[in-house]
Amino acid sequence: MNLSFFDQFTSPYLLGIPLILLSVLFPTLLFPTPNNRWVTNRLSTLQLWLLNLITKQLMIPLSKKGHKWALILTSLMILLLTINLLGLLPYTFTPTTQLSMNMALAFPLWLATLLTGLRNQPTTSLGHLLPEGTPTPLIPALIMIETASLLIRPLALGVRLTANLTAGHLLIQLIST
Amino acid sequence: VLHTTRALHTAQQRLAPLPPLPEKGGEVRYGLIPEEFFQFLYPKTGVTGPYMLGTGLLLYFLSKEIYVINHETVAAACILSVIIYGIKKYGSDVAAFADKLNEEKVAKALSVKNEAIKDLETAIEQEKKEQWRVEGCKYLFDSKRNNVAMLLETNYRERLLTVYNEVKKRLDYQVAMQNLKRQKEQDHMIQWVERNVAQSITPQQQKESIAKCILDLKALSKTAQAAV
Repeated sequence: MNLSFFDQFTSPYLLGIPLILLSVLFPTLLFPTPNNRWVTNRLSTLQLWLLNLITKQLMIPLSKKGHKWALILTSLMILLLTINLLGLLPYTFTPTTQLSMNMALAFPLWLATLLTGLRNQPTTSLGHLLPEGTPTPLIPALIMIETASLLIRPLALGVRLTANLTAGHLLIQLIST
Repeated sequence: VLHTTRALHTAQQRLAPLPPLPEKGGEVRYGLIPEEFFQFLYPKTGVTGPYMLGTGLLLYFLSKEIYVINHETVAAACILSVIIYGIKKYGSDVAAFADKLNEEKVAKALSVKNEAIKDLETAIEQEKKEQWRVEGCKYLFDSKRNNVAMLLETNYRERLLTVYNEVKKRLDYQVAMQNLKRQKEQDHMIQWVERNVAQSITPQQQKESIAKCILDLKALSKTAQAAV
């Protein structure tokens, strides 16, 4: 097979069976579930240490109520980190290069933050549409700009991740020849 | 999820006490292939069996172009060598770090236990000391009692002395009164007697006694002249 530069970005199929689910779930194999023991083996200890470090860094600036997001944010971070790092090895497929996966991650999370903000503190979340200290004549224009940026955000998030990873892998391929 | 063991579903699963973790992980040759694979092939093919299998498979894939050598092969070789180099160099350090984390966890719990034990021991010692002090209290109370008794005794004696002195003063007064009275009576009587005697001396008797005295003196002066 003559591999072109873009073959690494095609969704993998084996005899017509899509392997995309396998490639998304594969990184979870590398992290064993911590069992109920108090003193565990080295891998579990290191994994728990890493998780503690990341969660602490994420959650220290937040108030107590914000700690509800700890689980989803930390697990998301670890998943994306592993997927992206594994994609650097040859003959691997990085699921996050697919726009579909990144939009699937970005849209629900963005919508969740928006709706949570609107439900719990509607005035504050709407107040974020206007930055502080804007001169009065600019207010209508600025509100429209901020609304547009808010609505574009999931697209921006998804495309950002996709573009970064694709460009990175492509660049590595280009430089390696 | 508790990782208990039972020999391949033959015995009952026991959740407690939890079996200890094995000291070392499974034996692995070349970091990838478990030792059990080599043992599995040993009866049929001997020691070189798995190696022949590996070499054969590799050459088969290469010759039949099931695995094509392309630019990614070089990338794979480079990445693999870097990974192996990194593991060989930093593997033991990472293992020591993980072991240190576990040791710290266990040491923290142990320190709690040891400190509790130490606190209890100091409490025991202090309790014993307090008991010893209580025993010594008896002596303290005795000495205090003696002290108080002495004070009482001293006070009693002082008051006794005061009483004695007062009584003596009264009695002395009475005695002095009596003495004074007798003295006065004596003086008065002597004066009366003298007055009466002086009154009773008539001038005749006076002259006679003076003459007699002069005669006695003359007689004496005669005998006493030699003594000068």
